[in-house]
Amino acid sequence: MSYNKPIPSRGTHTKPFWEGAKAGKLMLPRCTDCNRIHWYPRHICPFCHSTNLEWVEGSGRGTIHTFAVQHLAFGPWAEEAPYVTAYIDLQEGDRMVTVLRGVDPEKPQDIKIGAPVAVEFEQADDDTFIPFWRVVEDLEE
Amino acid sequence: MPGQLYKSAAIVGAAEANEIGFLKTPVTSLQLHIEAIKNLSEQTGVPIAKIDGVFSTGWSTELCEHLGITPKYIDTTAVGGCSFEMHVHHAMAAIHAGIIDIALISHGENGHSANKLGRGGANYAAGAGNKSPAFEMSMAYGIAGAPAGYAHAMVRHMHRYGTTREDYAHIAKVSRDWATLNPRAAMYSKEKHPFGGPITVEQVEESRLIAWPLTILHCCMVTDHGGAVFVVSPKVAAGLKTKPVWIAGAGESMGHGNMLEMEDFTATSARRSAEAAYTMAGMGPTDMEMALVYDSFTITAAITVEMLGLTPLGEGHTLWKDGHAAPGGKFPINTNGGGLSFNHSGMYGMPLLIEAYRQLSGTAEDGINGDPGKQTNARTCVVNGTGGSLSTTSTLVLMADE
Repeated sequence: MSYNKPIPSRGTHTKPFWEGAKAGKLMLPRCTDCNRIHWYPRHICPFCHSTNLEWVEGSGRGTIHTFAVQHLAFGPWAEEAPYVTAYIDLQEGDRMVTVLRGVDPEKPQDIKIGAPVAVEFEQADDDTFIPFWRVVEDLEE
Repeated sequence: MPGQLYKSAAIVGAAEANEIGFLKTPVTSLQLHIEAIKNLSEQTGVPIAKIDGVFSTGWSTELCEHLGITPKYIDTTAVGGCSFEMHVHHAMAAIHAGIIDIALISHGENGHSANKLGRGGANYAAGAGNKSPAFEMSMAYGIAGAPAGYAHAMVRHMHRYGTTREDYAHIAKVSRDWATLNPRAAMYSKEKHPFGGPITVEQVEESRLIAWPLTILHCCMVTDHGGAVFVVSPKVAAGLKTKPVWIAGAGESMGHGNMLEMEDFTATSARRSAEAAYTMAGMGPTDMEMALVYDSFTITAAITVEMLGLTPLGEGHTLWKDGHAAPGGKFPINTNGGGLSFNHSGMYGMPLLIEAYRQLSGTAEDGINGDPGKQTNARTCVVNGTGGSLSTTSTLVLMADE
């Protein structure tokens, strides 16, 4: 079945991220002056204001920072409601947003802040593989 | 004789984006902004981190967020090509007033590239639009509308402080109590609206789920509203038939634009905007006798009163739960019924100002805008507006006339 959810419209400086996603890699922007990872991708390091930025492969691991269960959704997502959305603290620092997998939206009390998650990619079209995060047993898995 | 602002500020540098003109490789407005700002910083030696006021015709919040700065003066005056000269005027006034020292006035507009990039990338109120990297990296995930985002803050607050949804339900219940004293409130009575009139904490808890843990009665309404206020000099105020309410303090700040960048989901920049307002007023939270705070959701109000210093962190909801915020309570809050039960058209800042004026001018119980029991005896009021996704805040300290 073809992917029917909104597909991100590409900006002008995020090509390495989407190329990485296609290859199953989570690419993250890093400042070569202060060495910090930031997310979302910038034209300038938001920490030290250097414009010397590079892309590095992330571990694809993180933990749940916070979450919610979407009961009122719009467009194609409405068909999936309820579903769990979450903010993910990346192992490398900074944070991503996702639709969380491997959880029961009817049992939000069982979803734990701090639980380990791993990234996976779903093909949306020929060139777009969208990252989603899934709750996993532990970081070593 | 020169005016008061004569030579009160100077332009000290000017720079442009790396490449301008008919660019072969399309660029976004955001990129043009950032390049120009970086070049200006290098030209002048002024670090970007030292900028404390940001003026642009775009969504200035997005510019600040991209730069990772949280200035104390944010201006998005956008009235066409002359906006930038107005920005200079506004910056000059802010500098003269001692609010800021370094104002950034920035422009980025991809008039040519926009043809190739399609919609978005234009420099108007939607910021960099659908070419914004924050949007690009969050649009896939089915988070649409304010409740979808704010619910994440409530979950984090519950996790951190052990609060429960029922704690916040008291905010909705008490706000409704105020609305039943306000004939102009959308939820004044059953006669006015089928869902109007008093509600219980249980009803709030059991109402329809929108974004767990938020039920619909934890959410503000979406209504129609129009309002206006005058701000004038003391000299003009003295000659008017209406009572003045004095602005003792004002402050503004921001944390982020997109919730992706919300560092602490249990806090907003109201901590900083309130500090600025209290400092200007020479007063503090203990000098306040009532509060009007943006209640887009119950959690918004709870976090805000914590940020305003009215309760310790994690205990904001107790002002409602313990009855202090309610009609007849010792610290009235949202005496019009709030965005939850009075009116919320989308941007609720103006109703806050209007109710603050009514309370502090003694006109809150005139039979039109209030029934007996709505007028408080407060002489000071802290007002806090919140914008975006718990993103931006502005705080006022207002005082009744002598």
